[in-house]
Amino acid sequence: MAKAFKRKGDRFVARLDSLEREVVAGLLEQTRDFLAPAPRAETGDPFDDLVASMEMPSFQEATDPRLEGPRDPALERLLPPAHREDEAVAAEFRRLTEQGLRERKTATLTTAVDALRDADGDKVVLSAAQAQALVVALTDVRLLLGERLGLRTDDDAEELAQRLDDADQDDPATLLAAYYDFMTWLQESLTQSLMS
Amino acid sequence: MSIAPVEQQSLELAEETDLDQPWITLVWNDPVNLMSYVTYVFQSYFGYSREKSERLMLDVHQKGRAVVSTGSREKMEHDTEALQAYGLWATFQKDE
Repeated sequence: MAKAFKRKGDRFVARLDSLEREVVAGLLEQTRDFLAPAPRAETGDPFDDLVASMEMPSFQEATDPRLEGPRDPALERLLPPAHREDEAVAAEFRRLTEQGLRERKTATLTTAVDALRDADGDKVVLSAAQAQALVVALTDVRLLLGERLGLRTDDDAEELAQRLDDADQDDPATLLAAYYDFMTWLQESLTQSLMS
Repeated sequence: MSIAPVEQQSLELAEETDLDQPWITLVWNDPVNLMSYVTYVFQSYFGYSREKSERLMLDVHQKGRAVVSTGSREKMEHDTEALQAYGLWATFQKDE
């Protein structure tokens, strides 16, 4: 039975059994895979490789198929347009920041996964840096799950708990909702611990 | 944000803005981010007090959005990028 995060000195401690740790780590990894930036292909040409390493966005855009065509709605939520009215400004911002944001989020998710996998037994003990990474990483997991669960409004989020209560246990959406609920509970306790 | 009663949404900007600083960063309400976490991000990233962070968080939740910083366009783009890294729904625009 999971026990929520609590602050103990400069450490953040929770109790999660192996199945619970595996669920959290697995969701973190799936979110990381979803957000991972496109690998930069080495061209063999020193100049082109140098340009690519400098993250010249115009080159990157031309070679990354994920920047073309309709985007997954969950990606729109994880990396939302940065300007509400001016599409050109939003597109320019995306061109300049998307790769970097993907790399930052991926690194944060990796730190969080490693922290959980390092747990010795059911006691999860995190440093402040690991706790900060996990609380941010759980946000991205919940944003992805929330999008898949169709959460669009605050009302939707409130109805989710009700849906869980009288859920069909064989419905795959029920499992997703249960995971979401668990991530919410874990993140809330970690956030409160970080603020205490 | 989740966990709280449903409120009427209005789109009035809560924060007064400085005429000399014509760009703003906005954070928009969403059903996933926790009220506690949004407060935590405002404290951690901007270094705002707990009180100011909670007031901004409540503006986001109740009014649908809040102006969380004002300044040069470059600084607002930087804030937007950082807040998106935290998973908040942040945008920037010229103040109107």
